[in-house]
This record gives sequence, structure tokens and C-alpha cells, in this order.
Amino acid sequence: MQRPPSLVLAGACAVLGFLLVTAASSAGDARREAQPRKTELIDLIQRRRSLVAEQDEALQLLRGEVADAQRQVARRGRLDRADADAAATLAMQAGTVAVKGKGLTVTLKDSARKPNTEEDAGAFRIHDSDLQLVVNALFAAGAEAVAVNDSRLVATTAIRAAGDTIVVNFRPLSPPYRVSAIGTDRKAFEGSQIARRFDRWTKLFGLGFSVQQRELTVPAYAGRVAITSAQPS
Amino acid sequence: MLPLIGLAIGALVAVLLQPTVPQDLSRYVAMAVVAALDATLGGVRSSLERTFNDRIFVISFLSNALVAIALVWLGDQLSVDLVTAVVVVLGIRIFQNVAAIRRRLVGG
Repeated sequence: MQRPPSLVLAGACAVLGFLLVTAASSAGDARREAQPRKTELIDLIQRRRSLVAEQDEALQLLRGEVADAQRQVARRGRLDRADADAAATLAMQAGTVAVKGKGLTVTLKDSARKPNTEEDAGAFRIHDSDLQLVVNALFAAGAEAVAVNDSRLVATTAIRAAGDTIVVNFRPLSPPYRVSAIGTDRKAFEGSQIARRFDRWTKLFGLGFSVQQRELTVPAYAGRVAITSAQPS
Repeated sequence: MLPLIGLAIGALVAVLLQPTVPQDLSRYVAMAVVAALDATLGGVRSSLERTFNDRIFVISFLSNALVAIALVWLGDQLSVDLVTAVVVVLGIRIFQNVAAIRRRLVGG
């Protein structure tokens, strides 16, 4: 009644071998499929970033041309000159022209120390809220034009976090964070709560915090100035 | 000897045909592999113990794979990870079968 087992077993083994190779090769396919998609996305992001940078440059050039044209017009008549002066003042207040003057550069850096526990890790990094507090203190100490890593702060600027990255004017920043502020009183800033706190955190956690006073240039806002909903009331 | 030849033939056929499995189904194929491995080792064990019955073997081979796939499918529908359950149970059985085969062959 009983046949030799080998033949049935051999058949089962054939099925097993077939399945094994199929499964192994299909798992490999899935990995290979996921890989190029990732590099494609990285490429896409980098291409878009450089596109944005190019257009920023173009925008700066065009804004310069506009300012030149306005200056030329200003030479023609007194009325035009008044308009051009008003436009220049507005541009400076809006942050669409680069400005220079005496001011402070505050540099913030993540700590080089290793945190003891995973929960502690937050204390060793610079957060968006730190940057917000420093910027606020600089404004409170008389800053007239402020930029974070050469990104000018204007009326519609938000300083926020996207995951572990700090985003200013919708551009991700990379540390160290340099906050340049023209017109800040050094004593007033160093007396502020956040500056004193940072002095303590520098010792406790090794955060980088330095203040330099010097002649500096704050670049123009590179983004689009688009205020469409708000109307003068 | 014949089972090994069968294994080689099956692998060769797969290499030659290059079957493509849709990514959604690759988990089921993986499950079927584990189930088939378990059944085959069970077959080897029973043939060494001279209790091999081809009818039982074929039925267990097919039902194992089907039940495993059905469980994974059910888990997907309920979004419960039943794959783990199947892998654990089959994994334990594979180890037991291998241990039994080893005892038959080398003793101890």
C-alpha cells in the first residue's frame, strides 16, 4: 500500500525550492524598487532648492533694477522725488532692500556633548523657541533689521520647526544659527532674560552662544511680498 | 537523494522562469515558503521515523500553506499582525522537526 516516500517528498521539495527562489527574488525586487525612488526624491528636492535659489537671485537683481529706475525718476521732479523717497523708506521698512549698520551678531549652536538619556536630548539642542526668544529680545533691544542665517525677517516671517529642523521664511536652516540685528543695544540684549538663560545653559549643557558687535549687512528679504487679504482700515 | 534533486529542480525552474510576484502578494509567498518548509521537514522526519504516509503528507503540505495564507489575509483585513503568529508557530514546529531529524541521524 505504501509507496516509497521519496517521490512525493521530492515533489514537495521541488515546490519548496520554487517558492524559495520566487520569494527571495521578489523581496529583492521590492528593495530595489524602493531604493531609486528615494534617490529620485532627494534629487527632486535638491533641484527644486537650487531653482528657488536661482529665482531668489533673479528677484534680487530685478528689485535692484526697480530701485535704480525709481532713483532715475526721482531726478526728474520734486514730486517724483518725494514718491521715490517714500518708496525707499517703505522698502527699507518692509525689508526688501539690504541694509547695513552697526549691530550684533548672535550665534547659537547645538551642544557637542552627548546627552545622558534620550529624554535629555532636547536640552542639548537649539529649538525654534530659543531662536524666537533671541529674536524677540533683539527687537526689544532696539533692532531695526534682523536676519537669521541671511534670511531677513519681515512682517509675514514665521520661525518654526519642521521635525528637527528650524524653518524661517519657509526655508530650512542648518546650524549654527547666526542672528544678525542692526541697531541693537548690546547692554540691553545682554541684560535680557534669554541672554542670561543662555549664559547658564552654555555652562550646563554646552550650548553655543556668542554675541559679537560689529558693522554688518542684513540682506534683503528674498521671498515674495504678498499681502492680499489685509487692507488698510 | 530524490528530495534534494527535487529541490534543485524546483529552484532551477524558478531561476529559469523568473516569476514576478506583485509586491502586495510577496508577503503571502513568504508565508507559503515558511509553511512549505515546515511541511517538508515534517515529511522528512516522518519518513526517517518510517511513519510516512503520502496522503497525509500532501494534505498537510497543502493545508498548512493555505491556512497560513488565509491567516495572513485575515490579519490584513483586521489590520492585526497575524503574520507574527504564523511565523512563531511554524518556526517552533520547524525547530522541533529539525531537532527530531537530527536525533534520528546523529542521535542525542
